[in-house]
This record gives sequence, C-alpha cells and structure tokens, in this order.
Amino acid sequence: MNYPVWDVPGVGGPWVIGIISIFHVLIAWFAVGGGIYLPYAERKLYREGREEWLPVLKKHSRMFLVLTGVFGAVSGVGIWFAIGLVQPEATSTLIHNFVFGWAIEWVFFVIELAAAAVYYYTWDRIPRELHLKVGFLYAISSFLTLVIINGILSFMMTPGQAWLNVAGTGTEASQFWAAFFNPTYFPSLFMRTLACLSLAGIYALITYGRVTDESLQATRTEMVRWSAKWLIPMALLLPVGLGWMYVTMEPESREIMSLGFSTIGSGLFTQVTRISMMTVLTTVTVAGAVYFFAFLFPRDLTAGHAFALLGLAAIATSSTEYARETIRKPYVIQEHMYSNSIRMNEVEKYNTEGYLVNSKWNPPQMEPVAKGEAMFRGQCMSCHTRSGYRSMERLLQKRDRKAIDQLLQTLHDFEPDSPYRKYMPPLVGTQDERDSLAVYLEKLSLGKTEPALALNAAR
Amino acid sequence: MKLETLKADLVERLGLEEAIKLAGKKTVPVHKHTFWYFWGGISLFSFLIQVVTGILLMVYYRPGPEAYESVRQITYQIQFGWLIRSVHNWSANFFLFSVFVHMFSVFLMKAYRRPREVGWYSGIALLLLGLTFGFSGYLLPMDELSFFATKVGMEIPNAIPIIGPPIANLLRGGLEVNEFTVQRFFALHVVILPLLYMPLLGLHLWMVQKHGNAAPPSEEAKEPSQRKTMPFFPNFVAQDLGVWLIVLNLISLLAALFPWQLGPQADPLAAAPEGIHPEWYFMSQFAMLKLIGRVIPGLAGEAAAMTLFTLGLVLWALIPVFDKDKTNTKRSRQVLYFGIFVILVLLSTTFMGFVI
Repeated sequence: MNYPVWDVPGVGGPWVIGIISIFHVLIAWFAVGGGIYLPYAERKLYREGREEWLPVLKKHSRMFLVLTGVFGAVSGVGIWFAIGLVQPEATSTLIHNFVFGWAIEWVFFVIELAAAAVYYYTWDRIPRELHLKVGFLYAISSFLTLVIINGILSFMMTPGQAWLNVAGTGTEASQFWAAFFNPTYFPSLFMRTLACLSLAGIYALITYGRVTDESLQATRTEMVRWSAKWLIPMALLLPVGLGWMYVTMEPESREIMSLGFSTIGSGLFTQVTRISMMTVLTTVTVAGAVYFFAFLFPRDLTAGHAFALLGLAAIATSSTEYARETIRKPYVIQEHMYSNSIRMNEVEKYNTEGYLVNSKWNPPQMEPVAKGEAMFRGQCMSCHTRSGYRSMERLLQKRDRKAIDQLLQTLHDFEPDSPYRKYMPPLVGTQDERDSLAVYLEKLSLGKTEPALALNAAR
Repeated sequence: MKLETLKADLVERLGLEEAIKLAGKKTVPVHKHTFWYFWGGISLFSFLIQVVTGILLMVYYRPGPEAYESVRQITYQIQFGWLIRSVHNWSANFFLFSVFVHMFSVFLMKAYRRPREVGWYSGIALLLLGLTFGFSGYLLPMDELSFFATKVGMEIPNAIPIIGPPIANLLRGGLEVNEFTVQRFFALHVVILPLLYMPLLGLHLWMVQKHGNAAPPSEEAKEPSQRKTMPFFPNFVAQDLGVWLIVLNLISLLAALFPWQLGPQADPLAAAPEGIHPEWYFMSQFAMLKLIGRVIPGLAGEAAAMTLFTLGLVLWALIPVFDKDKTNTKRSRQVLYFGIFVILVLLSTTFMGFVI
C-alpha cells in the first residue's frame, strides 16, 4: 500500500468510479455510435435528396457537440481522478503497461474533438463533399478511441497468459500487443460497438422528440423510424456477443457464470447472474420500447419517451459494467492483482514482513485500534465502507471477537474450498496485524468506533 | 394476403366491427401532463400480473396449518417458485403504488367532474378492494413478520366504533390470528375479493372508454382548435404496451435483485419482533392510531382516530358531489386545497409511521 487511502463514506470509492463511469460511458458510446450515425444520415440526405432532413440533423449535431465535447471529456478526466484515488496501484500498472496505448488514444481523441467542432461549425460553409469527409474523419477517429480503450479495459478482465508470464519482471511492456489483444478483446469490442450503435439511435430520438415544428413532422417521422432501426443490430446480435464473451472469459469466471445459470430455478443464483439477467432483460425491453414508442407511430414520440429509453439504456449499461466488475472478483487485474491492490506475488512477502511496514504512508508506531484501522483502510476499503455500501457493520452482524478471528483466519488461509475465495482477496499481514484488524472490526461490529479518529490520533 | 383474409374473416364472424368502431371513437388528449394517463394502465397491468402469478401460486399453496410449509417449498424448493412469488409480491406493491398515483393524478386533473363521477366512485371502491387484497394476501405465508403485522393491522378495523370488533372477529375467525384466519383470508383473497373486483373493474374500464380521458383545467381553457389528441386505438395502446414492457422489466429486476424472503415460522406465543408495523400502504392509518392514542389514550383514542380517518375517506369519495362544475369556482379551489392537505397528511403520517 504505497498510497494514502481515499475515504468515501456512504457510497464508498468504487461507486464513485461507477457513477462517473456510467455517466461517461453513456456519452462516450454515443460519441462513437453518433459519430457513425451523423455522416451516414448526411450521406443518405445527399444521395436521396432529402433536403428537409438538414435542419433536424444540424440540431442533432449541436447536441452531439455539447454532450461529447463537454460532458464526455470532463467525465473522462473524472474517471482518471477517481481510479487514481481508489485503485492507485492498478492505475499505475495500467499506465506502465499501456502508456503508449493511451498516448495513441489521446491523439485520436484530439482529432475527434477537432473534427466534431469543424463538423458542427461548417454546415453550409464548406462544400458538402468535404463536410461529409470531416464527418467520416470524426467517425473513424472516435471509433479508434474505442478500439484502443477496449484493449485496456478488457485486459483487466483477461490479461492473457503471455502477459502474466512476464508480470512483475519489469518487462511487462514487451507483451504489450498480447495484453492488448487479450482473449476477451474482440467479443468486448463487438458488444461495445453494438451498444454504441444503439445509443446513437436513442440519442437521435431525443433530438427528434424535441422537434415540435408542424412543418417538420413528416421529416421527423422518417428520421424517427430510421433511427429506431439503429437498435436492430443489438436486438439481434446480443446473444452472439454474450456467447462469444462467455467462451473467451477465464475458466474461473465461466464457472461462476455456469453455476449461476444452473441454479436460477432454485433461486440461489449468484449476484453476477442476477446482474447479467438485468442486462439481457433491459436490453430486450429497450428494443421493445423503441418499437412501441418510436417505430410503430413515430409521430407520437416525445422527448419524454426518448429520455425514458435513455434511462433504460443507463440501467442496461450500468448492469453490464457491474457484471464485468463482479466477474473479475477477487481481482482488479485477473490473476495478477487482487481487488485490494495486492499483487498475487506479494502475498508471501506481506505475510512474513508485514503489510503495514510496506505502507509508506502509515506512521511506524501505532496503537492496535489505529493499526487495525490502517489494515481496514488498506485491505478492505477498496470494496467495503464502514456503515454504507457493503457495510462492515452490517456484514459483521454483531460478531464477537472469536467469530471475527475465525473469519479473518479463513480469509488469510485462502484455502481452495473457502466460500469467500470466489469474490474476496486473501487477507495478508502478520499475526499481530491481523489481531489489530480484529480489534478494530470488533469495535466496528459492536458500534463502538469513532470512525477515522483512531488513525488520525496516531498521526 | 392470407393474413388479410384471415383478419377480414375474424372481423366478420366475431362481429368485431362494433368493437373496432368503439375503440376508434376514443381519443386521448395530448399535452404536457399526458404522462399521468399511463398510470391507470400501469395499475391494470400490475393487477393482471398478479392474477397470472396468483393462479400459479395457488397450484402449490396450501392454506391452513400447512400454509408456512407450502410457502417455504414455493420459495426454496419448487423450480422458479421464488420468481413467481417475488413477482407476485412486487407487483402487488407496484399495483397499490400506481393506483395511488392514478387516483391523485385523476384528482389533480379534476377528472372526477361530470360526467365521470361513476369512474371516480368505482375507482375509490377498487382502491379499497385493492388494499383489502394486500392485507389478506400479506398474512398467507404465516411467517413471523406477516403474522405480527396482521395482528397489529387488525387493530385498524378493530378500532371502528361499535361495528369494528365484530368485523375483526369475523375476519380472524376468533379473537386471535391463527390458521383459521389464514383460511378465511385465503377465501377472501382468491374468491370473494376477485368476485367483487372484476365486475367493478369492468364498470370502471367501461366508464373510461365511454367518457374518455379528461383533460386538465389548463387544457380545457384552450380553444378547441388548439387542443391536440391522439387516437386511443391503436396509437395510445402502442404507447401503453411500451410502458407495460418497462413496468414488467422493473418488476422482474426487483424480483431478481431483491427476491421476497420468508422469515421464521410464526409463533403466536413469542413476543412480537421489535418495530413491527403493517405494510407501507397502511402506515398512515397506523401512525394516526398511534399519534392520536398518545393524546387520547385507550379505546376512545382509537375510536377517535378511526372516526377521523373514515370521515376523511367519505369526504374524499364525495368530492364529485361538491365540485361538479367545469368552471374554476371557489368550490373547485377549496377541493384542490383539501386534496393537497390530504396528500400532505398521507405522506407525512406514512413517513412518521416508519420512524415513531
């Protein structure tokens, strides 16, 4: 633990990442899908002589520019701040491995932003052919940002054996391409592209739902129906994407999924299966609702309907991201780094030398409660909060010291048959450190702690 | 082509022209409050889900002494039993919630005025029957929570002066809640209440079809040429279907993420668990009983609370008698203030019920 810990009461750090990410993804995927949508719509306009589409498309490109250029960019930086604070060690690993990849992504991002601005401000000012080219430049550059970031995101789920063989040797970057084109790279890219196209359709419906001008109603009807069709790929190909993802994921993850599906009938299915079910159900609902709200009677579509569709898309997106996080447990980088930032190959070292000795930000001498709190902050708080989300107070269920000791021992031993092994990392540290953690947890369990005071006093 | 022929054949043989003509006559006003028109349909859809899942639950549910064991089997042993039960319970809550939203939106749009009074009266009766559905269904699992919540909940009818105690005894099948109560509640839940509910629902839907959706006063004030409408069939129905799909999705998600659990078996001799209270839709009455009980202790307090509540309900039901005119009169404003007062009281007492 080479970094101070960011204490977010209530929701906890991971949800800060989650909330910003969901917001960002809803815009970033629109940036990619909408980037393809706009020049295609414009090309259709020119080829089929649908001049009446022009004012509506201009209106759409304005929303596009504001959303992607302002909110997308700002929330993207927000994710950097949040992951840097909640998972500094994992962020550091990603930077060390993919700094070149990120550099490429930023180049494409800058081209994307510039092209979006040029595209919006040059309607009717430059030749139509050139304007269309700018649109396609935007589409390609924004899609390439997805191509790059997808490699880094899917790496965390399945780094691949080639990279794992060199992990921790200092030569990880030698396996850049193997890590980048990892086993789940292509199915992830496939799924994300489908989602991007769907969001392009939904956002277009938001613009067209707000067109109230009577003279544009016939045009609006055509465009609403055309945009609704952008959800067809997702509706038809979702099972292909999910199946592809399933066969390429790590065997352990596949086992968790299989176990979940086989126990749906008895109601004992796992959290990840419940969340995956949310994704599938909500995606089907989005497609059905688009059919009823937009495709069937396009004239009746309102912005309210379109926003409801966006809300549903947010549920589908967030549940997919949540499922991805849950499948990855107990790792943040599969088979390399646990969700509490401890590398697999550091476990022995921390158990013999001590966890806190290797934590530069903690004072060397501490009272047991303060030491226990430092252990809690270092090893538990990347997933748990004291009394909010995944509350330790609630999960400990008023356990006494003996029960807490047993629980910590089970977490420390990390035996293959441990019930916690599938979703919790091992507890590392010396006996003394674990005892201190038990002292702190007992106080937490019985509601006797003054949160965050003990450690501050020690400082 | 063949489909067209089949359609024409069906229309001819079943005499569907009349139904299509009737459906085509109705239009739905389009304005900024159109969203609230969906809530009646949402209530209906949640009710239909309960009918379907309720029938499936009846396949395995055994009222009487085995009630708890049968629900345990449904929840933990029978394949997908947990899903059917959870969907039934969640849709029940969703149903009552949407009925309340529907009722207050009807009230605020002044849709109870002539000629829609029968729709209002039948709606109130449907709400009361819906609440009784909820109350009778809640006991059926006979776990600790449902047992004690019903026991506490029975204090509400019990507190009605004179007729209350005999009604409570009749419902319970004696002085205490036990397996006889479960059998009575079951009969009430699956036979008596549906028998009363279905014809009333038919009347209510007929009234909606007959008189159409009322536009709010702000729309009524506009020139007829400025008002927008859409055909009920097929346009509004398509939107209804979209909304129903979303509702089904929400209920499925709630059932999957927060499946309804079963507590320990009810033990009548044990002490009631701490903080026991009825379901949220009875919380307002429960809180009033408690609050007034603090000022006027004993039976007199309970009787006062129930009298007050019954009086409020009667006044609420009789709103169309007081505010009949389509114009914005003084009476109309008084009714609006009364309604806002009722909404505030219900919300605040419901909230208080959870904290006191």
